[in-house]
Amino acid sequence: MLFTIFLLGLLYVAFVGVLIAAGAGAITILIVIGALSLAQLFLSDKIGLAAMGAKEVSPAEAPGLHAMIERLCIQADLPKPKVAVADTDVPNAFAMGRNQKAAVVCCTTGIMNVLEPAELEGVLAHELTHVKNRDVMIMTIASFFASIAATITQFGFFFGGGFGGDDDDGAPAFIVVLLVSFAVYILSFFLMLALSRYREFAADRGSALITGRPSALASALVKISGAMQRVPDQDLRQVGRMNAFFIVPTSVKQSVATLFASHPPIEARIARLEQYERELQGTALAA
Amino acid sequence: MGFLDAILGGRRKLTQPAPDRLFAMTTCQVTLETGLGMKHRDVAGIVFQPLPTADFQQIVKDTEALLRSAAEDTGTKVETADDEFGYSWIILRDEDFEDLVVAMNLVSSQLQAGGYGDRLLAAVFVFEENGRPIYFIYNFKRGAYYPFVPTGDKQRDNEREFRLKAQLSGELPIEPEVERWFPLWGTPL
Repeated sequence: MLFTIFLLGLLYVAFVGVLIAAGAGAITILIVIGALSLAQLFLSDKIGLAAMGAKEVSPAEAPGLHAMIERLCIQADLPKPKVAVADTDVPNAFAMGRNQKAAVVCCTTGIMNVLEPAELEGVLAHELTHVKNRDVMIMTIASFFASIAATITQFGFFFGGGFGGDDDDGAPAFIVVLLVSFAVYILSFFLMLALSRYREFAADRGSALITGRPSALASALVKISGAMQRVPDQDLRQVGRMNAFFIVPTSVKQSVATLFASHPPIEARIARLEQYERELQGTALAA
Repeated sequence: MGFLDAILGGRRKLTQPAPDRLFAMTTCQVTLETGLGMKHRDVAGIVFQPLPTADFQQIVKDTEALLRSAAEDTGTKVETADDEFGYSWIILRDEDFEDLVVAMNLVSSQLQAGGYGDRLLAAVFVFEENGRPIYFIYNFKRGAYYPFVPTGDKQRDNEREFRLKAQLSGELPIEPEVERWFPLWGTPL
């Protein structure tokens, strides 16, 4: 998913470059970027569910899951989101939707089989915190700003006249501008990734607050990450598109530098959850 | 919530209970029984999320002890139960409806005094209409009631619920957002 957002953003930047080259005005370009970002924002839930092959389930189809989410919603003070299930053995869960009213929480049949109820509750509370914190909205806005930053760079180069000698040679200048704006975009993309990692920690903390059982989420993370490595590669690639809002990214390969990760490493998340548990139990000693 | 909190995924606290409007049920009960021909059942329950910490368990024990000692005067029977979702119930049985409300308030104020008000999920009152149960669920975080009319297997009678909302609008603080009318299936009441 994050990679998709990245490619999409890159496409915006290239697209804007072409528009500028074609002589479109700043207002036109802003409107076009704005419209594309809005479309992304409003369609993200449907695209997300479709990419996972997930479908919405009614309370009659999945009474236990609905009841669990309903109770967590009361605790988290949230309206009830839509509930969806994806029929795959990869144990994962994600939340989609631009705001609290349009939210969808989806989990796979795999995660429901692998986890104990208290652990599943921790995972669902993590996803509900994403909904509560409006993470889809924030990340879409962040990627919008990343595109804007790159656009401004492009404008700066085209209208700032920073090219001196290349004036009569149009094509190479255009390519240089495009490359520089790609560079700006990539830089802002890394900032987005850092933001995403922050928000994962925040969602873990929110889950610990809602359920009052940080250790249950920690144990769920261990189970999921362990189980993920046993799942055949083919499935992993198939679900690779949805990474951004997954509870554990599907590629947990150690070789991937943390800079590129949308999620913090499992060990770091578990360490924080342990700390919440200590704080929680610590209140008992202080009282 | 500050700007930085919004960016970094803020809120370090759960929503705390809203100002207490639990007692609105005592006046509403009169309307329900005289105006709408319902009859309350002699039972009510309060459901909360148990925390696996020592002081929380102590507070719950103390609350139960307090309830039982208060019950010697009022004749309220106190039971506890855990449901299939891992939540705890304190179930109160008394013919006097007002005693039920007072006992519920005792539980919620005990938990709040202990700093665990945010673990309170709901208080549930049951009425009976033509032999079928009508639940009134009080959401502590919202400080509002909503009706819940189950009909058999995981189905609810939304029409009756909406009608109750209209009938009781002046009497009871009713949750305005229907998306928050969370059912509680299989209550031990």
